[in-house]
Amino acid sequence: MNKKTKFIVLGSVLILTFIMVLLVVIYNKPHTNVANSKADITLTAQTILNDFENDENNANAKYLEQIVEISGTISTLSINDNKGIIALKNEGSLGTVMCHLTPEETIKFKNLYTGKPVIIKGICTGYLMDVILVKCIIK
Amino acid sequence: MKSIYITICLFLCVTFTYGQEKFLTKQGEVSFFSSTPIEDIKAENHQVLSIIDTKDGSLAIAILMKSFMFEKSLMQEHFNENYVESDTYPKAIFKGKIKDFNSLNLNTNEVVITGDITIHGVTKSIETKAKLIKTADSLLLNGTFTIQIADFDISIPSVVANNIAENLNIDFKLNHNPYNK
Repeated sequence: MNKKTKFIVLGSVLILTFIMVLLVVIYNKPHTNVANSKADITLTAQTILNDFENDENNANAKYLEQIVEISGTISTLSINDNKGIIALKNEGSLGTVMCHLTPEETIKFKNLYTGKPVIIKGICTGYLMDVILVKCIIK
Repeated sequence: MKSIYITICLFLCVTFTYGQEKFLTKQGEVSFFSSTPIEDIKAENHQVLSIIDTKDGSLAIAILMKSFMFEKSLMQEHFNENYVESDTYPKAIFKGKIKDFNSLNLNTNEVVITGDITIHGVTKSIETKAKLIKTADSLLLNGTFTIQIADFDISIPSVVANNIAENLNIDFKLNHNPYNK
């Protein structure tokens, strides 16, 4: 084998390995870590509910898949399948902001009670009678 | 004056019974599963809204596409951006009926559900069997059905065609409770 072929073979192996590693990294791209990410939008439960109630399409464009940080008052607390759900109430609307917590965050439930003001960060997935947030953490 | 009281009473009665007739869940579970020799893909949604009207057994289900959680974030991204286009079609909707709802007894029932399902802006009629466990204060609806991806105008690029099954199995578990306003 002359020097040139050696160089080409070595080069292609390196490039292939690089591409493979890159593909594996892309394939295994981690989910957004809500706790370590900065909120895209910070607002009150009242505001987000009003936005969805007034114009759902517009609100979808604004909030879907965004990390939102919401301040509000707890109206109900429930646990379903080890995952806590906090509903934030709003005077004058039928719906609430339903925050679905991660199982790890659910441990904090013992410090919560109805009527307590809280700040919750999560990812908004849409509106079904209530505004839905997933992967929530309590700040 | 008397007639006003009667009207109010009647109104209250109507709204009272009205409240008792609807059973609802906001934490229904729907998941789908695609299995190919190359990889298995599973996504779960725990925020499904489902309402049963016990007057006639009509059933309405609304699902947020962005609430489907995948194991790999890349799969979730492809699902939302390329396949179901959830920015344009954020919800999947089912509207239908549980057959012979009024003749069901308390306990486990095999039921047939018929209706129209809308995914990705395309509506298809479906009929599926399900299990309905009825107690005094809950209606648990459980079952599985299959859909063909191609039926809903969703195109899978040929590069990944071998990774995604043509038919998806969809599981649902909807535990309804009486709806009090």
